[in-house]
Amino acid sequence: MARYGMALDYKNCINCKACEVACKEENGVLLGADKHRIWVGANDVKGEWPLLDIASAAFLPSQCQHCDNAPCQEVCPTHATYYDENNVVRVNSDKCILCSYCMNACPYDARYVDDRTMTVDKCTFCSDTRLARGETTTACQNTCPTKVRTFGDLDDYDSEISELLRTREHFSLKENLGTKPKLFYLT
Amino acid sequence: MAETVEAVETVETNEKIEEMNFVDKAKEFISTIPYNKIGMKDILNYEKEPRNNLVAFAIIVFLAMFVIGVVTYLIHGHHAYNVTREHPWGLLIAVYIFFVVSSTGLCIIGSLGDVFGFKDYEMISKRAIFGSIVTILAGFAVIAFEIGHPVTMVIYNVLSPGLTSAIWWMGTLYGIYLTFMIIEFIFLLKHDMKSAKIFGLIGLLVGLAAHSNLGSVFGFLNARPISNGVFYPTYFILTAFITGVFISFILMGWRYKLEFPDNAKKMLEGLAKIQGLLISILIFFVTWKMLTDIYGGMPNRAEVSIHILGSWTFWAEVILAMLIPLYIILKDMGKNINGMFWASLSGMVGIFFMRYNLVHDTQLKPLQMMKTREYQLTPEWIHYFPSATEIMISLGGLGLCLLLYYVGSKLFNLDADETH
Repeated sequence: MARYGMALDYKNCINCKACEVACKEENGVLLGADKHRIWVGANDVKGEWPLLDIASAAFLPSQCQHCDNAPCQEVCPTHATYYDENNVVRVNSDKCILCSYCMNACPYDARYVDDRTMTVDKCTFCSDTRLARGETTTACQNTCPTKVRTFGDLDDYDSEISELLRTREHFSLKENLGTKPKLFYLT
Repeated sequence: MAETVEAVETVETNEKIEEMNFVDKAKEFISTIPYNKIGMKDILNYEKEPRNNLVAFAIIVFLAMFVIGVVTYLIHGHHAYNVTREHPWGLLIAVYIFFVVSSTGLCIIGSLGDVFGFKDYEMISKRAIFGSIVTILAGFAVIAFEIGHPVTMVIYNVLSPGLTSAIWWMGTLYGIYLTFMIIEFIFLLKHDMKSAKIFGLIGLLVGLAAHSNLGSVFGFLNARPISNGVFYPTYFILTAFITGVFISFILMGWRYKLEFPDNAKKMLEGLAKIQGLLISILIFFVTWKMLTDIYGGMPNRAEVSIHILGSWTFWAEVILAMLIPLYIILKDMGKNINGMFWASLSGMVGIFFMRYNLVHDTQLKPLQMMKTREYQLTPEWIHYFPSATEIMISLGGLGLCLLLYYVGSKLFNLDADETH
């Protein structure tokens, strides 16, 4: 139906970690699974005072990239990892055998083991929770105070995300691997 | 109308007779498999020599460890292992690979005589094929406690096969391979060399396919430049052959207590020469792998290679599995068979490190993604050391393998038939 993606205006990120908290709350992520499902990357500032490299201090929020050509989906021996009708990369915990191949194959470190089901879990773009309730935003997007995140249908020409990607320069992570990520970093 | 009914009845009766015939034939086939009738008493009754006592003691200790390890795993799950999100594959994967490499290697050795018709090697065929069965069973026993949901695996491997997954192909082909190995072994026991040859050839081809697929489990990892590429799928076949030769020396050395009859001597001298060539090729491969990895300083590959060169487990692999056996072979041009028995023991320890390194090195480099705070400091290398449970289950796998082989050697005649 749709092809969901997310654009991140990452330079606006203030590393408040509200997205991490909202994600945990919404999706019932266990305590201790810190920076497993969603995280904010933080670099130490480079250079020596007073010649500090201001640009190096940027924060880089990240999560599963919901690749169009996802290595995790390709390597799954039982099709536990699949694309749902909205092209979101999902895990069917009934089929997951916990061979951990996907965890090794994902170039983005985006998968972890959920201790309740003892199967591999990951960001679902809130498909089970918010989207299932008919809402149109993800928890991380909804809570972000500086409006870093824009979530929407990449196939819909009129969506906000399509508009953003048409008008702003952007890049994706590890593009050279041919995974075709659906997380876009706006520059 | 009546005629039709009669005709149908006749056909049904014929089918029943045919069915009966098939069942009877199968029963007859199974009942004529030659084996020795043994009881618990025979199993416990072995020659009380120091070496036998040592191995018997080791088997009991290893099996006890297996039980403790499995119970701990069943209580605590994967938390009993030292595997983490950053290093999800640990010792048990390495030990599984170790056993299935041994199995493929023994299958290659067993095929030399009864598939390819090299008469000198026929005397080890039965023993090697039996060895290939017990090693893969030990491998399966270990992996059953690494895979989180082995029952789900069996069900969904069939119901929703992931055909793009190297693990699916590897697992499925190994299952088929095991079946062919068992059938080949039965024909070897029955001395039906023609059928053994057919099933042996199919088993060998399936085994090689399975094994190179196991290599591709690592070779397909585009996210891990150190493992990605054609190297592992081909290297796995080469190292399987090498492992098979090492185990052949150990099996024959144990069987003849290092006092070999002429035919065994001739065969082992031949194997030693083959091994000299294989190890040389392996050294050549590994050298070029290291050089191409380091050359140009490509990120995520060169630095990992340099890190590997500085680890003692890599040098354990090189010295124990490559340099010591090659030195023993070259020194006497393959004629020092007793020396090769000991070098093969060293070789197998080296091969274990080879498997461990392969698994660990693949995961050495953190994928990072700027999660610097997760590690407190900017992460450099992922650390891993197996937990006691992992070590106990691994040694348990070895105990299981030795026990199955011992029982098999009592149950079946693993020596070459005299008519050879």
